Amino acid sequence: MTALLMAWPHVEAVRASIIVPGLFASEQVSATEPLVIVVNRSNPVNDLSWAELRKIFLGNRSHWSNGRRITLVMREPGEAERMTMLRDVCGMNEDQLKNHYLHGLYTGEILVSPKILASPTGVRKFVFNVPGAIGYMRLGDLDSTVKVLSIDELLPEDKGYRLRVPLEVANVN
Amino acid sequence: MSKAPKPATTRRTQYPLPVVDRLLNSLSRHNAALLLFMVCCGVAVVGAFVIRDLRAANAEAQEIYTGSVHGLQRIGELQYDAQETRRATLYALTTTDSNLQVEYADQSRDADHRVKEGIAEYRNQAKSSEEIALAERLNRDWMSYLSVRDEVLASILEGSIQEAVNLDLAGGVPAFEHVRQDLNEVKRLYGEDASRREANLNASSQRSSYKLVGILSFTFLLSSGAVWAIQRSQMLSRMQLANLQMDFVASVSHELRTPLAVIRSAADNLADGVIRDRDAMRKYGAILQHQSRSMADLVDQILLFASTEDRNNRYVVKPVPVNQIIESAIATTEALLSGAGIRLDVHADPDLPPVMGDLGGISQCLQNLIGNAAKYGGDDRLITLRVAASGSGHSSPEELRISVADRGIGIDSSEIQFIFDPFYRSPRVHAVQIHGTGLGLSLAKRIAESMGGRLTVVSQLSIGSTFTLHLKFAKGEEIEEAAVDTRQSRLSQT
Repeated sequence: MTALLMAWPHVEAVRASIIVPGLFASEQVSATEPLVIVVNRSNPVNDLSWAELRKIFLGNRSHWSNGRRITLVMREPGEAERMTMLRDVCGMNEDQLKNHYLHGLYTGEILVSPKILASPTGVRKFVFNVPGAIGYMRLGDLDSTVKVLSIDELLPEDKGYRLRVPLEVANVN
Repeated sequence: MSKAPKPATTRRTQYPLPVVDRLLNSLSRHNAALLLFMVCCGVAVVGAFVIRDLRAANAEAQEIYTGSVHGLQRIGELQYDAQETRRATLYALTTTDSNLQVEYADQSRDADHRVKEGIAEYRNQAKSSEEIALAERLNRDWMSYLSVRDEVLASILEGSIQEAVNLDLAGGVPAFEHVRQDLNEVKRLYGEDASRREANLNASSQRSSYKLVGILSFTFLLSSGAVWAIQRSQMLSRMQLANLQMDFVASVSHELRTPLAVIRSAADNLADGVIRDRDAMRKYGAILQHQSRSMADLVDQILLFASTEDRNNRYVVKPVPVNQIIESAIATTEALLSGAGIRLDVHADPDLPPVMGDLGGISQCLQNLIGNAAKYGGDDRLITLRVAASGSGHSSPEELRISVADRGIGIDSSEIQFIFDPFYRSPRVHAVQIHGTGLGLSLAKRIAESMGGRLTVVSQLSIGSTFTLHLKFAKGEEIEEAAVDTRQSRLSQT
């Protein structure tokens, strides 16, 4: 974990600025950290395009290139990470996503609905145990048991990486 | 010369154990405490050996017990964790809550880590080839089961319950059955090993019992032998003392009877009027005088010996001029030597300082030594009195040595150690009819030691003996004190 965090020093810098006493609330809210897409370490895939990522999280792609079934892992409704994924990747709100999955399951276009995990640790352990699982988590929750995918060949530490989630100010403090 | 003595009966024993008795005799001379000390040492050594053996047996039993407990605990934990791995996996089948499924998967993986550690520990501690092969087979079977377990867990988490059940039935159950059989085999081998250890422990315990019995028997025999030896030693000592006393009584009786017989016979002749002329009467008077003096001398010796028995110092030790010692020795023995036709050669170093002693005691001591030399000096009829300082030079002499040497029958080396014992007389002097009480040398030694000196002897059989009286030279302050005392004594007399 420490090694991975060392790869993204700017995140640490942001986190450090958050805990400085006397920082204004407006500054804290505007601080973000990357939201990383993770898969099982046995998954041969290393990169996804923005479009592929959207298809997977909408349940429109059911298998990986090696034939493994894709198992989608999401956080519970209301979580900042889930809201980011819905807004930035799926382009929907909660109700739209719910309707989308109900429709897909009903028509048979979608085989399995996403698994809902209550914590980033649960997400990480789920992805670790299931070879075809894909999920997301904050960069700070990352460890070596899962593999990080690049999106459009951009890793979370790269400039222009689009998936970012507001820092959890309350948690940090 | 030689005072030889010890009546033959003293050393003769009525028991058929001459070697043992000689040893015991020697022991009794050094005190039975030595024997007791040796026995105590022996018992202490034996006790230490017993304690060491018991400790070793206890340590072995404790090691076996600890090993058994640890081994059973290890096998129990291994079986429990293997079951826990499978149980947690199957629990995941009972819920559709992904969070609970993840938690069960986590529990299963924690348990499987413990199983891996247990197998590795068993593999490291395996000794026989059978145990090593079993450890490797168990590890192999466990890894096979884990690969199936991972697939089952993945299917459960994916939500494919039926697929998970099928996978478990097809691969998980048989793989886990192999693991279960392997664990049973581990238990069986452990049971056999425990049986061997138990047998070894029983054998070791039996050996310890035999050793203990043997050691206790040995200790008992040793103690019994020691008690027997002490009692026998004391009995021999008492017998020896009784024999010495009997010999002493016999010797004294003999020494008294001879002059008594002469006196009685002379008295009879005088009483019967057989002796009438003056010359004959003068001759009989001289005989009576001589024989009565001999008897008086003998009684004096006995009384002197009795008086020195308590070892209290009865002499006044002060500086004594050497020339006085020589003159006194010559004067007190002149009659004896001239009567026996023995010549006394005196060789004295000049300018010798005074020695510490009592003139009367020194004279008595030398008289005994010269008398002894006259008695055992053989036919050579020559006694040498040598007076010299110790050491090669006279720069700082430590002591005066007064030696009385004869060329007589000498003393056997085996008897040297006994000649200063009271009443001891050599069987050889008994055989040649040399009479005596066995007190002369004993008295001389006691007198010498009472004055702070000592008496030594060098002798060779049929060559002769030399007895040496060692006396310390007086120091300057001692001489001055003696001079002051003498002056004060003269002044008080005037």
